[in-house]
Order: sequence, then structure tokens, then C-alpha cells
Amino acid sequence: MTAILESGYAFWNPIILIIVFIVVMVVVYLFRRRGQKGYKKDTDQTQIFLCGEEVPEAEQRHIRADNIYWGFFETLKEYYNQVLRPHTGIINDYILWFVAVTAISAIILLIAGLR
Amino acid sequence: MDTLITHSAILIIAIPLAAAFLTIPIGMASKKARNALVIVSLAFVAFLVFALARDISINGIHIYTLGATSPGLAIPTGFIVPVRIILEVDGMSILMGMIWSIVALAAAIYSLSHIAKETGQNRFYTLLLLMVTGGFGMMFTGDLFNLFVFLEITSISGAALIAFRTKFADTQEGGFKYIVVSAIASLMVLFAIGLLYGQYNLLNIGALAQVIQYTTPDKIALALLVIAFTIKAGLVPLHLWLPDAYSVAPASITGMLLITSHTCMYAVFRVCFTLYGGVLDTPVVGWIIIIFGLLSMFVGVTMALRQKDVMRFLSYHAISQLGYMWVGVGVGLAVLGNAELVATFGRDAISGGIFHILNDAMYMPLLFFIGGALFYCTGTRDLTKMGGLAHKLKWTTILFIIGALCISGIPPFNGFSSKILIYESVFRFHPILTIAGIIVSILILASFIKVFHSAFMGAELSEYKAVKEVPKSMIIAMVILAAGIVFITLFPSLIVDWTIHPASDALLNQGGYINAVTGAIP
Repeated sequence: MTAILESGYAFWNPIILIIVFIVVMVVVYLFRRRGQKGYKKDTDQTQIFLCGEEVPEAEQRHIRADNIYWGFFETLKEYYNQVLRPHTGIINDYILWFVAVTAISAIILLIAGLR
Repeated sequence: MDTLITHSAILIIAIPLAAAFLTIPIGMASKKARNALVIVSLAFVAFLVFALARDISINGIHIYTLGATSPGLAIPTGFIVPVRIILEVDGMSILMGMIWSIVALAAAIYSLSHIAKETGQNRFYTLLLLMVTGGFGMMFTGDLFNLFVFLEITSISGAALIAFRTKFADTQEGGFKYIVVSAIASLMVLFAIGLLYGQYNLLNIGALAQVIQYTTPDKIALALLVIAFTIKAGLVPLHLWLPDAYSVAPASITGMLLITSHTCMYAVFRVCFTLYGGVLDTPVVGWIIIIFGLLSMFVGVTMALRQKDVMRFLSYHAISQLGYMWVGVGVGLAVLGNAELVATFGRDAISGGIFHILNDAMYMPLLFFIGGALFYCTGTRDLTKMGGLAHKLKWTTILFIIGALCISGIPPFNGFSSKILIYESVFRFHPILTIAGIIVSILILASFIKVFHSAFMGAELSEYKAVKEVPKSMIIAMVILAAGIVFITLFPSLIVDWTIHPASDALLNQGGYINAVTGAIP
């Protein structure tokens, strides 16, 4: 079978997963059909309700990219301080890294060859 | 057809080269004729690549000797070593060729609209075709010095294309950084070639592989070659230039630059497996490659998470994805000296890494094209200024979801197929590698949720009320790559049996590569 990928331990068949996905979608659709019938598009019932408060404009409601995962970055502040240090944007610094990594790699290969 | 196949290796390099020089005179006469020339030449090259791939699957390694009475005559009469330029195309080279032909064609189609408002388009397409020439040359050459020459062609055209949109200041900085880094990497390659040529008087990879001794200068040459190509591939900690350059190039070029990174990675594999394979201290070099891979996976994804510029975000993900490939192939290299371990999991690890190159070459350019589409529509790369774009960009949104699910390794998409091959094989080498891969995949998914929410979700914003879906040629280019993703997703085993296993076997079969040149019968 062209769809079955043998990975050594087990196998992977995407077709099975797709069939399962389609079955789940059909079940979801059947549940949805049993839902409320009173929905009317473009009426007040489709508006956002904030306990009677005024709903802010779309620009103010949208959570922007710089506010997402704030806690993650705060927790890993020390890690990011270290990782950002070499990212200076200066080409001279980049080349220093190239020289250092080349030298270290050559020394490792030479020392390993002495064994 | 047989004559076409016989000469296909050189035609694949020569056609884009000839088209590059024709682009300017034809473009001065007619813009439509120029566009047709670019697309038709790249489509014909893609046809030749696939025809050659079929021939290689039937007849084995294809060699082409330039200037010989017969293309198969590798060693001229009266000589004991090859002296002419030889193109040698095996399972690994042709896989890279197939990837390059598809992505280059998609990038050219995408460019038709994406750069339609820019000046100097004739020069743009000339450079694009020169870059295609350089890429194919690097993949198909069996000669170290030609590898250097084609690396130079790719680098110079790449730098000019990065700096193409001269109206933006950051493009000039990106182009400058790219050419400086490329020049240093090229000089390191040239110095390494000099060290090898000085000792063995040979430049042909197959002939060199037969006589290489692994002396101290050989080890220095190995370090120079591996690090030079690693710099050009953009692995951590040598990646610092990559986001600065990739993020400012036109999106079609960023997609192609990614494949040049893959090509440099291919050069590392060619050096380690084919050139040094017989004498290499495989555990040491294997671990060096694994460490580069692990660092790239982690640093790439964590840096991507905090980016606000969509193209820089994708550039860091490109670095992270390279890490997966290096871990897979690095594990295969580390156990290369032990035939039992190679048979148990080494070959699967290499296949997983190579399969990930193919998958990455489909979804990563797609995501770069989507990044370019966002810039095309909104005029900004800043994610903090975007929102609610799914209301207007329906095709782009659907294609972004496909790309995001692929890169995150969500089943049933193709990214999962290659990742599971890597996870299961490298687990038997060291479980921590698999654990690291899974953690990185989770972070990738988290970062793409951030971008999906901030750019596409939410209510329609007033500043983007006039935004329209991107032009058809950009959609077509993205759909070509998405179609590739769907095909690989549905038939992973077909792809692995036809292209991936022959590629990993080509890396493992050093003798086959050497014999194709030294034992070639005219």
C-alpha cells in the first residue's frame, strides 16, 4: 500500500486518520442540526453581549501579537537575555562566531584523531 | 528522448543559464514574452529533472563528462584519473534537483504578480535564473572546484535578489550581510579545496574519495568544508545573518533561499558521506552535526516565538526545521561505522532527515509566500499591526492553516510523516533527541497559533477594509506547493520508496559513487 509508511517500530497510515476525521465531522454535523432553530443572521441576537457594557471597537478588542504568551517570555527572561546577546545585528560579531566555531571544530577533529 | 536523457544533466544547468541571458533582450521587447520565457524554461527544466529521476531509478547513477567524445567517458584514454568536469547525479542529487525545480517554478509564478510594481524586473528574472543555474550546478556536480563556482553563482545572485527592492533600506543591509557571509564561506571552501588538491592532485569527488587518507590537512579541510556549508545553511550558532537576510528579500526569493540552505546542507552530507565516508571519524562528526541540529531546533523555535515581524518569524522557523534534518542525518552518520546499527535504525534516521528536507521544501516556501502575501496586502510585516485578515484573504488563510499544521507535525500532514520517522529512529540512538524534537514541535504549534490569531483572527479591522485577496499568480504558486503537500500527505510510503530510500542509499553507498567515475565504461 502506497499510503502505509513503515517506521521500523510501527506503521503510519494517513488515510485511516482522514476517515476517522470525516466520521467525526459527520457526527458533529448531526449534533449541530439538532441545535436551536431560532438563529437569525444580521440581527441583534448575533451582536456581542458584555453584561450590558459598551462593546469596544474591533481595534481595541483584538489581542495583538506582542501581548500573546507574555507569561512565557517573563518566565524565560534569563534564557532570552542570554540567547539575544549574540544577535547584535553587526556583521563583525557574526564573523567572530564563524572563526570561533571553525577553530573549535578543527581542534575537536584533530584531538579525536589522536586517540 | 534517449538523447535528451543522455544530455539532461547538462541541459538542466544550461537552459536556465541561457534563459538568464535572453531575459534582458526579450524583456526589453515584451514583458509578456519575457515572463513566458522564464516560466516555460523552468517548466521544461522541471520536466527534464523528473525524466532524469526516472532514468536514475531504472539505470542507476548518471554521469556526464563535459568535453568527452562520449558523456559516459569519465577517464580519458591514457589517463588513470578523471581530468574533465564531470556531473554525477545519484538518488540524493536528483531528489534535491526535483525539490529545486518545483520551488523555482512556483517562485517564478509567484513573482509575476508579487514584483509586478517594482522596477528592474528584467534583471530580477535574470538573477532568479542564474540562482537556479547555481543551485542545480551545486546539486549535480561531481567536482569540488565546480561546487565552489556554483556556490559563488548562487551566492552572488542571491545577494543581489535580497537587495532587489532598493526602496527599502533594510534590503540593502540584508544583501550586504548575505554577500559578506557568502564570501567568507566561499573562501573557506576554496581553501579546503586547495588543501585537498595540494595533497592528492585531484578535484573529482569520486576519485578523491578513493585516495583520501584523513591526514591532519584533510581534517582541517573537513572542518573548513563542514563549517563553511553550515554557515551558508544557517545552523545555530552560525545562523545570526539568516533572519536579517531572509526577512527582507521578496517572498519568492526567500522561498528559493531556503532551498539554497538545503543545498548547502546537501553539500555537507556529500562531503561527510561520499568524500570522507571511508575514513571519517563518524561518531565525532556525527555528534558535531547532532549538536548543531539540537541547538538549531531549540534556539530557532524560541527565537521565532518572540518575533513580531512575520518574515523574521518564518526565518527562525526555517532554522529550527533545519535542526530536525541534521539530527536525523547526524544520527545516521554517527553509527555509519557499525553496519548492524545502520541496518537497525541508522538508515531510517537518514531517511527521516532527508524526508524532512522534502517536506520542509514544500511547506516552508508556502509559508514564506503567505508572509509575502500578508506584506503585499497590508504593506507591513509587523504582526502587531495585523488582525482579522481571514475575513478578506480566504485562500491565503486556508493555505496558512495547511502550512502551519504541516510544520507543526500535526497528523495526517506530511510534516508528521517525516518527524515520526526521525523520532522513532533517533530514539534508539538516544531518547533525549526524540524528547527534544517533540518539545520543539509543541513550541512550533504554539508559535503558529500566535501568528494565526494575531494576523488572521478577530473582527475585521478598519484599516484593512479595502484589502483584497492576492492576485491569481500568487495563489497558483501557493496552491502548487500545497498540492505537493497533499500528495506527500496521502502517499508517504510511495514517496519514501521512490525518492527518499534511494537518496539515503546513495549517501550510504560511497563505493557506488566512486565506481560510477573510476569504473565508468564509455
